[in-house]
Amino acid sequence: MLGLSITIAVLLAAILAGTLAPHPPLLIDVSSQLQGPSSAHLLGTDQLGRDTLSRAIYASRVSIEVALISVGIGAFFGVAIGSVSAWYGGALDMALMRCMDILYSFPAILLAIAIMGGLGTSVVNAMIAIGIIFIPGFARLSRAASLVVLKGQFVDAARAVGMSTHRILIGEVLPNILPVLLVQVTSALAGAIIVESSLSFIGLGTQPPDPSWGNMLQQGRSFIQQDAWMALTPGVAIFVAVLGLNLLGDGLRDHLDPRLRGWS
Amino acid sequence: MIWRRIGFRLLALLPILFASSVVVFFTLNLVPGSAASAFLGNHQTPHTIAVFNHRYGLDRPLVVQYVDWVSHAIHGDFGQSLQSQDAVGPQVVSRIPITLELAGLGMLVALLIGLPLGIVAAVRRGRRTDIGLSIIAVGGMSIPNFVVATVLVLVFALQLGLVPVGGYIPFSEDPLRNLTLLALPAIALGLASSTILFRIMRSSMLEVLESDYVRTATAKGVSFRMVVLRHAFRNALIPFLTVAGLEFAGLFGGAVIIEQIFLIPGLGSYVYEAVQGRDYFVLLASVMVMATMVVVVNALVDIAAMFIDPRRVAGEAR
Repeated sequence: MLGLSITIAVLLAAILAGTLAPHPPLLIDVSSQLQGPSSAHLLGTDQLGRDTLSRAIYASRVSIEVALISVGIGAFFGVAIGSVSAWYGGALDMALMRCMDILYSFPAILLAIAIMGGLGTSVVNAMIAIGIIFIPGFARLSRAASLVVLKGQFVDAARAVGMSTHRILIGEVLPNILPVLLVQVTSALAGAIIVESSLSFIGLGTQPPDPSWGNMLQQGRSFIQQDAWMALTPGVAIFVAVLGLNLLGDGLRDHLDPRLRGWS
Repeated sequence: MIWRRIGFRLLALLPILFASSVVVFFTLNLVPGSAASAFLGNHQTPHTIAVFNHRYGLDRPLVVQYVDWVSHAIHGDFGQSLQSQDAVGPQVVSRIPITLELAGLGMLVALLIGLPLGIVAAVRRGRRTDIGLSIIAVGGMSIPNFVVATVLVLVFALQLGLVPVGGYIPFSEDPLRNLTLLALPAIALGLASSTILFRIMRSSMLEVLESDYVRTATAKGVSFRMVVLRHAFRNALIPFLTVAGLEFAGLFGGAVIIEQIFLIPGLGSYVYEAVQGRDYFVLLASVMVMATMVVVVNALVDIAAMFIDPRRVAGEAR
């Protein structure tokens, strides 16, 4: 419940950033650089006098957007590969799964950096890179879950009435593996926020002056002795957003445990 | 039998390394010709780009470039840096031990925290210790390593002055100074992994503690301490080891960020410098060497698991 509340709060902050943020995130005010918290700037200002709270709120938009789109890419291709692999089996299954194993063995951030090295630096490319690193996880999980579902009599019935492969996989298999996928989606969203902020932190994701939690923290580190708020605010924001998703994932896992539900 | 399985596992390294090299090479060439435009910028004339590509052999078909790169890399020749024009191979070799030491220390931190606390939480299931530790673990999982690093630097280096902000001295030159400098980076790197290891040790231990043979041992009058340490721990260690191997491999990725924060001249910093300088050959070499380290670590973990769980060898041989 706590996880869901935190996640909804972060989502609302991202959606209502324009209303919630007290100042425009890119508004430079040289007369109030590196100020601590005050009534005018609740979490202080950065080296250009921009309001830290407003930038952190707007940054949630970037994080949520990148997380949703990249996890969408990972889930779409991963589930497609996993369910096709489970359906056809044999050499295709073997080949697809070995490819997934190799991708899975790469550390996420290293693979993301390599992909960004190949594609170039931008937020869109960060979404693609993060999406690709989530494909193997979704593929392995959906293959395992699909294999169990495909043994069900309703699948035999669908085959018997002549339903196409495409319709069986989307209409019969997918709804039955959704609960397990949902748990994976929440943990992938948490992972995506961490990878996006890590990429932005090393200068590969969101490019300044646009705010993201990663690049805000990177800039804040240079001024940490004068104004710790500048670095700590985005750090706390990442922590809260990821904590919410992790708690939500744990809660969902407890409720939707396939072994308990007997979905097989 | 076990030595034969180890031999097979080591032989399997070759196709895995080949596949990894294909992934790394073609990933970095997702957009053909991107090396030139990334390094020179987008405002170059086609002639300048063509001269650049010809000079570095980047105008050949990708497969030819790949074969050429691999055949040189096997002999330690990774080409030269676009930025400094220095040979990449010697740089990579000199940086490997630094990253290995950092990742090793990070893993040590993760093991020292995750393993004992996981056992304690499982033994005290449902009590305050277990609940408290589990809550802390979810919190710890939610903090990226660069946030931990920033907080550690702020508190222990800048506020308390206990350790330097960053830097590196080889262990062979000054062991104490080396460990002092690597203390904060290792903690920052290993903390998130410690929470994962805690959770897996706790759940494996809980599963084993509920098994029939543990119940039998308890019924026969074996002390609880002996049951936990001698029977349960060894069996819980098997799934734990698999996850620990993945976590260890993941630490090499984390090193890219941590080395940059703490000014450690390892392979991770080299990746970072290559990305910043759009240095294609350095990026190719450093990512490939890191991927190789990951593959080797995974193989070593598999071999360690064979010694701990002989059933794995027997099962595979059947």
